[in-house]
Amino acid sequence: MPVRHYAVSAVGADRPGIVAAVTGTFLDHGCNLEDTSMTILRGHFAMMLVVAAPDGLAQETLESALAEPASAFDLVVAVRAIDDDVPVSPPGDAWTVSVYGSDRPGIVHRVALLLADAGVNIVDLSTRVIGDVARPVYAMILEVTLPKGTDAGDLQQRLGVLAGDLGVECSLHPSDADIL
Amino acid sequence: MAVRPVLRLPDHFLKQPAEPVGRVDDAARALAVDLVDTMRASPACVGIAATQIGAARRAFTIDVTGHRKARSCHGEIVLFDPEVLLAHGPVVAREGCMSVPDLTGDVARASTVVVRGLTVDGTERVIEADAFEARALLHELDHLDGLLFLDRVSSHESLFRRKVYK
Repeated sequence: MPVRHYAVSAVGADRPGIVAAVTGTFLDHGCNLEDTSMTILRGHFAMMLVVAAPDGLAQETLESALAEPASAFDLVVAVRAIDDDVPVSPPGDAWTVSVYGSDRPGIVHRVALLLADAGVNIVDLSTRVIGDVARPVYAMILEVTLPKGTDAGDLQQRLGVLAGDLGVECSLHPSDADIL
Repeated sequence: MAVRPVLRLPDHFLKQPAEPVGRVDDAARALAVDLVDTMRASPACVGIAATQIGAARRAFTIDVTGHRKARSCHGEIVLFDPEVLLAHGPVVAREGCMSVPDLTGDVARASTVVVRGLTVDGTERVIEADAFEARALLHELDHLDGLLFLDRVSSHESLFRRKVYK
């Protein structure tokens, strides 16, 4: 049976029942959950989902169906039809970048800019503000793909210089998995 | 002698605990050959458990020769009815599995182990292993109990998409 894919996001103050309500709507409309990521961001539950919907299910129908859980849980919901051609991420080696230190504006942007300039693709990123309110610590973990031929030592060195500029700690280490 | 297909999720056979071999007979020795042949058929493969090739017997093979993370290396090992005598020093590392398509995960495993089992000759063998060889032994032992690395990942944040292996 042909399907079409929708990217759906929903955000609202966290409380029990949000996942059950939203996924219930998808189930009622014959949608299959594909890749999803859901987490609490500073007390707000944030859902990102790619769902496979029956071909006949119009975006407007899905949107109005989602209005019910959205209203019940005060969620901001967005629906977008996406191409069924899944874009392929650039190939390369998996590395992890950790950045942490005193919170200040520009940490994510400047690290991401340096990585982008080096052709490094970010495949996963999460940040958390941890520690005391008086002395917040910003922690960021990135999963990245280094294009073939990247000089990891050189990249590490440039990240080190940037980290010095920002007054944070930064490390780069390989995260290739061993297939057993 | 045969390269056997490697079962992959969602095949429920992978979740079945395997039965002890007891005595190393011709059937067990034939299974050992299939395990080694199947492991050798995939260049990146360093180990296969009997459960993965559809045999509910407590048997596996590993070979970490030449692996960059290996310290101890006993070459090609085939063990029947293996058991862990000693395990300590948990270390987290990322692993994947021939039976789990697309995902890898960070798993804490002992970095030093002593494992005992029967060889293809039916004699008892005790192997002390560390680093990557210890991880490989424990990963294959898990298969015999119906456990995949997915049962051991510390949190969902330690699950990652695996790059494509040709």
